[in-house]
Amino acid sequence: MTVNFEEEIKEMVSEIIEVPVERLAADADFFKDLDVDSLKAIEIVAAFEKKYRIIIPEHEIPNIKNIRQITEYTKNLKKD
Amino acid sequence: MIWDREKIESVLPQREPFLFIDEVIEIIGTEKVVAVKHVRNDAGFFEGHFPGRPVMPGVLLIEAMAQASIILYSLDRPEVVKASPEYYLGKVRAEFLSPVYPGDKLTIETNRVKFLDNAAITDVTAKVNDKIAVRANLVFSIQRNE
Repeated sequence: MTVNFEEEIKEMVSEIIEVPVERLAADADFFKDLDVDSLKAIEIVAAFEKKYRIIIPEHEIPNIKNIRQITEYTKNLKKD
Repeated sequence: MIWDREKIESVLPQREPFLFIDEVIEIIGTEKVVAVKHVRNDAGFFEGHFPGRPVMPGVLLIEAMAQASIILYSLDRPEVVKASPEYYLGKVRAEFLSPVYPGDKLTIETNRVKFLDNAAITDVTAKVNDKIAVRANLVFSIQRNE
């Protein structure tokens, strides 16, 4: 079964930041384009960790700035 | 009792009449803390909330749950807490399931969801006699003083 990570992640992020899925471009910067603050960022990280049962190292969190990066991160983890 | 008032005050910045944790009765690593608040009959807020029908305000229950969460956070990030940062509640998702009255013993169980140096998420329940009064998910920020 092929999992569309990008769609799953968009839905998750949409719910947290209260922006409709159709407005979430994969390359939109969470902080500059979508007004995500540090608390919403930690909510995204926590939801992502719960859904995919992984832990994102704290030092990597500032580097994850858009949905495309989360999607790539997920794909890489699932390959391991 | 694992932590007494003195130990609690070494971690929490709040003080009477705004300190809502009396003792810590259980600590499981950096994952869970169980704390107790004895809701005093003579607490000032009961005079107005409500005259003749005292009920503990929901916002104060959330405050008690947040204070228990700071204690749990301090176990995971002692170096952050030692620097006396400011704590700000950012988001609360809560269900209030039963009222809390004067004289009740409130038992608060807080569980770690995610802790960072500048933010934290916890899942918390507050019970009276094993009955859940409030269930909440708290998101708060931690801002260090420069």
